[in-house]
Amino acid sequence: MKTKIIVTAAAALAALILGVAVGSVYIPPGDILRIIAHMVFGARLPEEISATSAAILWNLRLPRALLAFVAGAALSVSGAVMQSVLRNPLASSYTIGVSSGASLGACLVLLYGAALPMPAMLTLPVFGFAFGLGTILLAVAFASGIDSRMENNTIILAGMVFSLFVNAVTTLLMAMSGEYMNRLIYWQMGSFAMKDWHTLYILVPLTIIGALFAVRCNRELDMMTFGEEQAKTMGVSLKRVKWALLICASLLTGGTIAFVGVIGFVDLVAPHIVRRIFGPSHRYVIPLSALLGGAFMVICDLAARTVVSPSELPVGAVTALVGAPFFAYVYFAKRKA
Amino acid sequence: MGQKMLELINVSAGYNGTDVVKNVSLAVNAGENLSIIGPNGCGKTTLLKAVANILPYRGEIALDGKPTRKLKQREISRKIAMLSQNSGAYFSYTVYDTVMMGRYLHIKDRLLGLPSSGDKDFVLECLKTADLLDVKDREITRLSGGQLQRVFLAQVLAQDPAVILLDEPTNHLDLKFQIELVEYLKQWASQWGRAVVGVMHDINLALRLSARLLVMKGGGVSAYGNADEIMTGGLLENTYGIDVAGYMRELLAVWENVK
Repeated sequence: MKTKIIVTAAAALAALILGVAVGSVYIPPGDILRIIAHMVFGARLPEEISATSAAILWNLRLPRALLAFVAGAALSVSGAVMQSVLRNPLASSYTIGVSSGASLGACLVLLYGAALPMPAMLTLPVFGFAFGLGTILLAVAFASGIDSRMENNTIILAGMVFSLFVNAVTTLLMAMSGEYMNRLIYWQMGSFAMKDWHTLYILVPLTIIGALFAVRCNRELDMMTFGEEQAKTMGVSLKRVKWALLICASLLTGGTIAFVGVIGFVDLVAPHIVRRIFGPSHRYVIPLSALLGGAFMVICDLAARTVVSPSELPVGAVTALVGAPFFAYVYFAKRKA
Repeated sequence: MGQKMLELINVSAGYNGTDVVKNVSLAVNAGENLSIIGPNGCGKTTLLKAVANILPYRGEIALDGKPTRKLKQREISRKIAMLSQNSGAYFSYTVYDTVMMGRYLHIKDRLLGLPSSGDKDFVLECLKTADLLDVKDREITRLSGGQLQRVFLAQVLAQDPAVILLDEPTNHLDLKFQIELVEYLKQWASQWGRAVVGVMHDINLALRLSARLLVMKGGGVSAYGNADEIMTGGLLENTYGIDVAGYMRELLAVWENVK
């Protein structure tokens, strides 16, 4: 187990270095360290490293790779939590409406110029986040209203009903004012381009807090996979823990897609692969999903910006293009054996 | 006779506003067991779920004299464990990890939930009782139905409760384990002054588990007391709709001819 964990951590670090080093200008790993030392600790920059390289690395590549990593980690942890809490291998925050809600929020900002008293760059994320979270809270509150025991099927169905309804509203709004449609579609496809350190200042603490909370609940998550009644008879305060975990997962997904758009698949794939390799205990599943999902996202973003350089592919499409065959291989190859 | 451990007074419970269990009262003392029998759909499982506090109920359920309504779930679960009839394996936890989950309320490390050496020893003891030591590192998704049933039994024992509720505990178990399970639970209850309440389909096993019997029909109690006082051919025929006693006697005749 220890070896497997060390290998995974090393692979994640390698992915991160690769994501920073590769691009239109190649920056060797040694130079990366020197530039980081220069920017963080004020160490002198060796003369063979140009100021342009340093600027590319510090202002573009590093924040972008880190953002991809954090987004991948947050989405994967959220996926792992949702799959276990709802006892459904296909469940995610997307299933119960976070992306539909966020899309509606983004739509309102883009189409009607809805604005809040805050810097313009934050308007879209804040609206996306609030609407995404709002949709999930409404769905879960609705589910708990019609079914006091808040069973999983009720939550999933309520989530789907809200999700489809909100999607329909978004579609209607888009159809009625076609000129902004492209911007919204572009936002929905997800991208790490044009982001700077500020996004990280918000997403890093959010992801760390969310992931730590999920790790803290590792035993409750383990027990909930055996069904709610069994978890409750073993002493889990089921309703409270379930609400807390659903909100934690929604915050992780909502916060992430608010900044980088809707990126699917990683939340589904990473936890399943981790369970295959490390077993189902959430003590391992949560932190390792974060590592693996982060690394996977960095690689996908690397592909998204280099394959058709100088233009870019939508990273959401790349995660699915790379992830689907890989997932099929890992999941079904082992099942066949 | 020990003290009153579990007491139900006029308990009704059900689903979506319809009562499946109606006005059931019973009491179980420390060190003694109770078997609940009755036909399918008579409310046996629903009654157990109300006692375990996983279904809302009306009436009064008291544990060591305290109404459970006033207790938190973790306080109830410290005292009452339930072996359910439809537990399944969804993820491939090992046998050991699955049984360790029963120690949830006992593990002192609140941060990561890592078990102490005392918890580990306790789990090994439960695995030994359920005859699972050989397979303790196996994934539960690779076990037979009977082995899985024993894993959940070990999990219930790991919870170290005062009252064990059993819902059809002998499902999937072969004859040897059925008898061993019942004998073990009898000893467990009498030795430690605890109690077992078991819903049983097999009347013979029910009688073996406890001298006291609760017979249910249509959600209510049709008889309650010592088996040798209340059990008559008429009662069983009325409860199950067939001549149970006559059927058993026929079986007995068959067995007398077995060499």
